[in-house]
Amino acid sequence: MMRVRGQPALILKLLVYFAVLTSACQSTLKEKDSSSPNRIVLIDAAGLEVNLERPAQRIISLVPSATQTLEALGVSHKLIGRTDFDVEDWASDIPSVGGGLEPNFEKIIALKPDLVVRFAGEQDPNTRSRLDDFGIAHLSISPDRLTDLYKSILLLGKATGAEVVAASIILSIKEDLVDLQQWTSEKPRLQVAYILGGSPPWVAGPGTYIDEILGIAGAQNVFSDLGFLYGSVSPEQMRSRIIDVVLISDNAQFDHKLTPEARVEKIGKALEFPGPNLAQTAKQIAHILHQYQL
Amino acid sequence: MKFEAKDLVIKYPGQSRPALNGVNMSAPSGSLYAVLGPNGSGKSTLMKALIGAQIPDRGAALVAERNVRDWDRKALARAIGVVSQTERVSFPINVREMVSMGRYPHLGLLEGEDDKDRHIVREAMEVCDVKNLANRDLSTLSGGESQRVRIARALAQEPTALVLDEPTSSLDIKHTMEILELLKQSVASGLTVILITHGLDLAARFSDRMLLLSEGQVAVEGTPAEVVNEDALAKVYDWPVRVQWESTTGSPSVTPLHKN
Amino acid sequence: MSKATLGALLVFLFVITGFLGILFGSVPLPISEIWETVRGDGPAAHRDILLNLRLPRVLLAAFVGGGLGLAGATFQALLRNPLAEPYILGISGGASFGAVSVISFGLAASSSWTLPLAAFAGALLAIFLVFRVAISSGGVMDVRVLLLSGVVIAAFFSACIAFILSISPAQTIQSAVLWTMGSLAGADWAQVLIAAVYTIPAGVTLIALARPLNLMAIGEETAYYLGTNVEGVKRISLVIAALITAVSVAVAGVIGFVGLVVPHTVRILVGSDHRGLLPLSFLAGGTFLMTADLIARLALSPIEIPIGVITALIGVPFFLVLLRQSSVRR
Repeated sequence: MMRVRGQPALILKLLVYFAVLTSACQSTLKEKDSSSPNRIVLIDAAGLEVNLERPAQRIISLVPSATQTLEALGVSHKLIGRTDFDVEDWASDIPSVGGGLEPNFEKIIALKPDLVVRFAGEQDPNTRSRLDDFGIAHLSISPDRLTDLYKSILLLGKATGAEVVAASIILSIKEDLVDLQQWTSEKPRLQVAYILGGSPPWVAGPGTYIDEILGIAGAQNVFSDLGFLYGSVSPEQMRSRIIDVVLISDNAQFDHKLTPEARVEKIGKALEFPGPNLAQTAKQIAHILHQYQL
Repeated sequence: MKFEAKDLVIKYPGQSRPALNGVNMSAPSGSLYAVLGPNGSGKSTLMKALIGAQIPDRGAALVAERNVRDWDRKALARAIGVVSQTERVSFPINVREMVSMGRYPHLGLLEGEDDKDRHIVREAMEVCDVKNLANRDLSTLSGGESQRVRIARALAQEPTALVLDEPTSSLDIKHTMEILELLKQSVASGLTVILITHGLDLAARFSDRMLLLSEGQVAVEGTPAEVVNEDALAKVYDWPVRVQWESTTGSPSVTPLHKN
Repeated sequence: MSKATLGALLVFLFVITGFLGILFGSVPLPISEIWETVRGDGPAAHRDILLNLRLPRVLLAAFVGGGLGLAGATFQALLRNPLAEPYILGISGGASFGAVSVISFGLAASSSWTLPLAAFAGALLAIFLVFRVAISSGGVMDVRVLLLSGVVIAAFFSACIAFILSISPAQTIQSAVLWTMGSLAGADWAQVLIAAVYTIPAGVTLIALARPLNLMAIGEETAYYLGTNVEGVKRISLVIAALITAVSVAVAGVIGFVGLVVPHTVRILVGSDHRGLLPLSFLAGGTFLMTADLIARLALSPIEIPIGVITALIGVPFFLVLLRQSSVRR
């Protein structure tokens, strides 16, 4: 019978057996794809190579900012699937495949996409491999910084054959932001907090597009010293900082008592997604803070 | 089937004195052998040693002249029916299913029960007067009823020997006498019966040989007349008693006196 | 109810539920098309959905649900405790710890089997720790100590998980929590194969040990007196039941309630004889989970409700009714 000292060896054997079994099953069941030379080759935000025979015609977007970008690129007619988080009016007729992190695969397959746009990163480990299993091309984009936004616009432009439009959109955003930054550089820096909502309040830290936009709009993000991209802060942390203005999105609940001396302004959904309208958003914020003429 | 203990020493960890300290006894084959003694004198330990459930620190327990530890476990289960004092059941089970478990030592892993097995189970239930309870769930039975069910299960094993730990403690006069008479009959048909009990009077009346234990050692071993005497009992139980032998039944009645 | 009756009923329900699971999903597939699609005449997308999404998912639900039923019945017998269930030895805690660690280190997406492997490893770690504690120097395993150490180890892993999550970004927390709530959404043929390879031989072995398990459920002493190799049976059964549970958690997350309620339901209907209890618990558990999965998929389509929620929401009222009826009968 089993003795205690035999058990570590047994457990190791079981682990190896399990690993070998899973990988064996994986490789036998996955069909190898050896297709002809491809027209479009991209490296997406996760560093993966994406091969497309021709510009994507049937796109499912699991990323709301990508949905916005597709519209800006003028290819919104190619969108055949979205998530529940896409609330644009023009997209309401397009079927939803559920939430962005755990999309409904039956729906995805039934829509017969040739490209799925998803989030880069750890959130949903399964989506990528399942899309691979079904042979559906996927492109991941990052939602973190402005450079990620530019990269996303370019990637989506290349993938849909709208590379020229993409380049011009990026240029126009950059120009607008540079101009705005010059204008606000002469204004006094206001201490601003952007609250995404929640209790305790969820805020944006350094390394986010929110942080960058606030900087360009003439504000200092009071939470730019935190060690995370997005996270919650305690009432003490809120009180211990000098905050001139609190910006919140429309849906967010915020307890004004946490920042009694600050001016609280709602700015709608503008900062919720890092989409192609960020330049407009920056100007809007500059208007609120420094009366920038829109 | 003879049961013997030779210089048996068993000590439980953390106890000041051994539970059994050099016990020698012999229960002859085909006899009713009663084991008595005050609480903590080692009766249950002796029983466990004799059926191989407790490994001795020194000495040996022998069944049919073979060391009990050398016996094949299943063969031992076919040979000895054990009735423990209490049993707690956590799940629904009826009397018939419980008694049928007595047939398990005779059945292979995948073997089913046949008519012969079912007949033996029925007989065992009838003999112990629990046949009318056959479909009742065990949790609905009284202490005495479940004791009789356990005895029936042991009988269903068709054993060569029965070892019982206080089998009549919860039974009324009728059922106590019925069980003891059943045990006597079993002995008459060849079984060896080892009985642990506190009931001095009935033990002396029904048993062929008796063992009186005191603090892990043998105080007296012998016939009922040899064992049930006032001096031995008073010493072992630390209480004065009077022993009177009844002429009609030929059994003694032991009366505890007042201690002064 | 006799075992044969319940058995026939369960086989019928098992098969029907399986079919329904394949027929229905978030994308309506006309029944008339199904046969053509399977043969290869229908649209490829529909074929993909039927054969590579729904069928493996239904089969996985059957094996995981059945396995949990088997494991639950076995643990209840060995621990002689009606409250025992598959996760009682801290297995869910260990598996969750493995999964959450991998998610928080950003490794989960590297391969589709990283996460299940990590969960399985975590489960094995929990099993190893719990057994280690419960086996005394004499080599005897005291099930009461096993129970207690299982509770303690589970609490320990819980604390570790809470710690990891407290220093993790939001996305990690969301992923981790979703994983622990259990889901069959990621079912593929590889997972079905693994579940089958573990569960079938394990189930067969346990059923072969049905009589010793009957005795163990009464008491170890009684089992010994009636000829059982107590330590041997204990170890084999515990290890097998623990492994079934570990595999289930590795592929499907923590799905509660099945392993506790299914064996009790079967017991109320046909009694505690494991020769019937074990196979019927397998069938009932598989049917139950296939049903729950169907509801999880359809109720709020295209969003999927975590399956552990459904098993509790259906299981509790159903079990309470059964409990009432059985006590009234007595």
